[in-house]
Amino acid sequence: MIANIIASVPAILFHFHKEGSVSAIILAIIVGTILITMYTRFFNSFPGMTLPELLKNTTSKWFYKSFVFFLAIVWFVAGLITLVTFTFLLIRFLTPEMPIIQICLTIMIPALFGSLMKTERILYTLEILILIGFPIIVFVFYKAYSSDKLEWAFVKDAALYFNQLPNLHAFSACFYLFLGVANLFIFNRFFTEKQNFNWKNVLFIGLLSTLALFTTYFIPIGFNGLDHIEELVYPWISTSDSLRMDFFLIERVLFVFLILYVGIAFLSIMIHWHVSLEFFNSIFNLEKVKFKGIAIGKLIVILLYVGVSLFFVRKLNEYQLFLFTSLFYDMLIIFFPSMLLLFFFIKRGMKNVKKAK
Amino acid sequence: MFATETINWLNEQFKNTNEFIQKNIDYENKHIQLLYMKSLISSDMLQTLIIKPFFEMASVEQFKIYLQALPQFQEVQTKEEIQLEVMNGNVVVVIQNEVYLLDIRLVNNDKPNSTSVETTINGSQLALSDNILTNINIIRSNYHQPSLCVEYFVKGEVNQHKVAIVYDKNKIKSEVLDLIKKKLQKVDKQLITSTNELNNFLNDKRFTLFPQMIMTERPDRIVYNLAGGKVILLVDGDPQSLAAPVVFFDFMTTIEDNYHTFFISLFLKILRYTGLFLSLLLPALYVGVSSFTPEVFRSELALTIAGSRVGVPFSSFVEVLFMLFFMELLLEASIRLPKAVSATATTVGGLILGTAVTEASLASSIMVIIVSAVAISTFVIPVNEMAFSIRVVRLLLILITSFLGLAGLLLGFFSLIMYLVNMSSFGEPYLKLYTSSENKKSSEEKT
Amino acid sequence: MLKRQSKTKIFFLSLIPFLMLLSGCEFKDIDKDVFVSMIAIDKSSDNDKPYKITLKFYQPTSSYKEAPEPQFSYLTQNGESLSEAIRLMESYIDKEIEFGHSKLIVIGEDLIKAKKSKEILDFLLRRPDIQMISWITVGRPTAEEIVHLVPEGENAAYPAIFNYFDENGTESQYIVTSYLFDFRRRLKEEGIDTVLPIIVIDEEKKHFKVNRALILRNNKEPHELSTLDTGIYNMLTSRAKVADLIIKEEGDYFIARIDSIDSKFKVNVSDTKKITIELEVSLVGYISESKETLQNKDLPYLNKLLEKDANMKFTAFMEEMIKNGYDPLGFRMNYKSHTLHNHRISTEEWNEAYKDAEIHITVKPGLKSTGTIQ
Repeated sequence: MIANIIASVPAILFHFHKEGSVSAIILAIIVGTILITMYTRFFNSFPGMTLPELLKNTTSKWFYKSFVFFLAIVWFVAGLITLVTFTFLLIRFLTPEMPIIQICLTIMIPALFGSLMKTERILYTLEILILIGFPIIVFVFYKAYSSDKLEWAFVKDAALYFNQLPNLHAFSACFYLFLGVANLFIFNRFFTEKQNFNWKNVLFIGLLSTLALFTTYFIPIGFNGLDHIEELVYPWISTSDSLRMDFFLIERVLFVFLILYVGIAFLSIMIHWHVSLEFFNSIFNLEKVKFKGIAIGKLIVILLYVGVSLFFVRKLNEYQLFLFTSLFYDMLIIFFPSMLLLFFFIKRGMKNVKKAK
Repeated sequence: MFATETINWLNEQFKNTNEFIQKNIDYENKHIQLLYMKSLISSDMLQTLIIKPFFEMASVEQFKIYLQALPQFQEVQTKEEIQLEVMNGNVVVVIQNEVYLLDIRLVNNDKPNSTSVETTINGSQLALSDNILTNINIIRSNYHQPSLCVEYFVKGEVNQHKVAIVYDKNKIKSEVLDLIKKKLQKVDKQLITSTNELNNFLNDKRFTLFPQMIMTERPDRIVYNLAGGKVILLVDGDPQSLAAPVVFFDFMTTIEDNYHTFFISLFLKILRYTGLFLSLLLPALYVGVSSFTPEVFRSELALTIAGSRVGVPFSSFVEVLFMLFFMELLLEASIRLPKAVSATATTVGGLILGTAVTEASLASSIMVIIVSAVAISTFVIPVNEMAFSIRVVRLLLILITSFLGLAGLLLGFFSLIMYLVNMSSFGEPYLKLYTSSENKKSSEEKT
Repeated sequence: MLKRQSKTKIFFLSLIPFLMLLSGCEFKDIDKDVFVSMIAIDKSSDNDKPYKITLKFYQPTSSYKEAPEPQFSYLTQNGESLSEAIRLMESYIDKEIEFGHSKLIVIGEDLIKAKKSKEILDFLLRRPDIQMISWITVGRPTAEEIVHLVPEGENAAYPAIFNYFDENGTESQYIVTSYLFDFRRRLKEEGIDTVLPIIVIDEEKKHFKVNRALILRNNKEPHELSTLDTGIYNMLTSRAKVADLIIKEEGDYFIARIDSIDSKFKVNVSDTKKITIELEVSLVGYISESKETLQNKDLPYLNKLLEKDANMKFTAFMEEMIKNGYDPLGFRMNYKSHTLHNHRISTEEWNEAYKDAEIHITVKPGLKSTGTIQ
């Protein structure tokens, strides 16, 4: 969720800053929290089972195969977008002279190594890296909010645009934040006991997402002014560059931010591609594909990922990336709520299966 | 008959050595035969336990009952067992064609050593001894639970050493125990003299960087391990014990964490972890910052680094490796220094690595500071095996940073974390954060 | 587990040689870089190449204790555009130019008057390696002179002029600090005007003097603020941490040292398009110098004097600003922040109404003591 502060979400939001972004944010928070609640409740009733397993049991084979294939592609693209955005970012700001393939490979290889791990190990890695990174995030936000160069007048000005109709693209960009819950499709494998998910958790998620979205949208405005903010290609990079740590080793908060977000982007790519790999696995039974005794089924898919990513990294420019991301998010807002219908169907189907057993 | 056969066979086995004594004692129509290895038995015990009573007892029957009542008495099954036990320091007593074994070995390595590797400020300074029976004695007297089980194996075809597994039946997971026993059965090497070798043989992969079992010589640490559900392995002749399964955080705790109050232990823990990160990342960070993105640090620091590198003929990456190489050499050599030479070595190390290198502009002064900081922080890590692993990983990180810059450093660090998370030590995940709600079965931490 | 490990091992091992083929492109040692300390942009005398850039480079010394005098090197180049000038300069110096540490940008006064701020801003922002927390200043008479001066008492660790602006060195009320991101947002935003400090060299050519400011507004000439007005501006925007006010009223002459300044304002536009501005300033401090002895019990009376004097000064300043149509405090911004966007008046209407705006200033004095003596 927090990872999206750097990816194209803020750029899209700022594009429509006078045309309904604020109301889109508010709407997205409400709808997103509801969606999260429903998804979690659904998966709570089937502890330990992943979505492919559920689908296998309750739907016909052709539907299952094509649907899961489609899901695998969707997840792969999600990871790909983060990867390409991040490669561009690193090239621009950290190491301008390194060949783009090298930077792309640098991020991709550990992410691929990670996505090959078992599901629960990924969760452990996540815990540790978040534990290390969380104080830094809190610190950057604290620095941003407490800086006296943050002009609240700009923020108030932007907030006053709330009485417009929400814009579709802005809404889908904010909504993407909440779609992290869809990773439960595979990660449910880890939750073999029924988890406690009551209204307190819902409230917490709602608050956290509000804070995240608020920060994503308003803080750059406070630092960079409201008019012409869509001129900034990477609004959060420019914002963190405006912060200054007077007494520490690193003076420009930009680098702290970049380091932090390399970590988060890496985690995000790892999770997305792991989910995608697992989907492919369940369709094609990749673990059974053997060549001279070594299971290389997964390796083929990985090579495919590497190839496609490298191709896109070279081909896209920033504007195409922006458009592509926007389209992707728009597609997702149709797709995920309609999954709820599918869940309903599955729930009925599983009851029949249980009766049959 | 059985007895004579046995005696002849034994004589045949031991014909190459002249230490195998065969004694016939006849007195007042009591007749016994003694067979033993002279260098293995304690002649005092032989005299007081067997020879003297023999002469004082009325009849052979009484003597037989007396022998069976002795605590050193052992049941005898086969000839091979008899041979083995004679090699272990038993004496074979043949009475009326019956063969008895008595364990009267001469033990002179049963004093507990004082701790040499893991010293603490407070607490006991006695470590385990070299003798396995004494060790088990020490452990049992520190851990008064009837559920403590000890199982013996004999390993090493040539030297036939005793290996013991100690565990608390109530606390361990049975899968772990089965796994360890299975692996132990598979070990069929010729010679096993120490727990280190056992450590390597029990783990299938020789090429891991990080230790899979923890070695300790302190009884209090062993007791904590047992109470935490670990399995302890002991080898005769080695004062170090092995504990498995193990998690990463075990390598970063000392026993003193439990002696101090909460805040002091917290402070020391933070210090240790900071030391760990410093010793891993600092040289690679220097290479990354000075050669790839000098803009990361503030201007004053960047200028200082640039200033101190004036005149240095190598690039930063070679400089780092050069200084680290010297430091590693110094550390390796100082293990084997005889006491007479140790003063010279410190002077040499201090002068060469310190002042002279900077004066001759072979390395920058910042580099010297970094290398000394790194050297000291490596030894903040309480368990030595982890320190060795860290030294190797540090070199790997420097290599990655030299090729790929700061992004490479970050991603190398993440790869390291993933590698650790992926490892399992006997079924337990190696790197896993334990929250207070989870059952801390395999962790040493008690708070 | 074993298979997965060997699979990943093979994967890695096969990639490492591939990576090595790509490597070595970025590795550049720090002694092959030269760091830029300040950038000076001037108007050149050449009409085809209107920009003249001067870069000041650090020369690192290995020991600050032995050589406390700082060493710098300079490069100047004319160019049709700023980037072209820099490209040419890269061929004149033997090391790679690194902009990541440049913290000060001085723009020559003529260039500002020639209304080139937008292009300069574009150049400074588009490059990702110039810090957005650099300080922007105006140099008089030319930026090149300012940048060339190494004042007395400067040591190699830190250029003296940075201390003027970084809020850690001197904290005078006459110095306006303007960061690049602030410059940008004020330039692009219509509700607030840009204020830049002016650096001048004193007569003996030994020190800098920074005690004036320049207000920039689109479509208008830049307006210079006198020293006193700069001080008032800093006080009204709560940027000054300590300020001194000279009170000469009714025979009393004392200097109030204000160490806590808080100013708030609110802008209202009535239906008849009349703008009223309410400005409230609270000044808390103590007396630091006086011609006569002052009694502690006279503090309320002294407070009244302070109030009257400050009110007079502030009102004079603000009325001059309003009359000339400048808005350095951001009144329009404030107006926009509490009015819904579809109820706002347009820019032209605002500019018209602004000239007749009414301002009410309330000063809340808070002299707490007369100092150590009475």
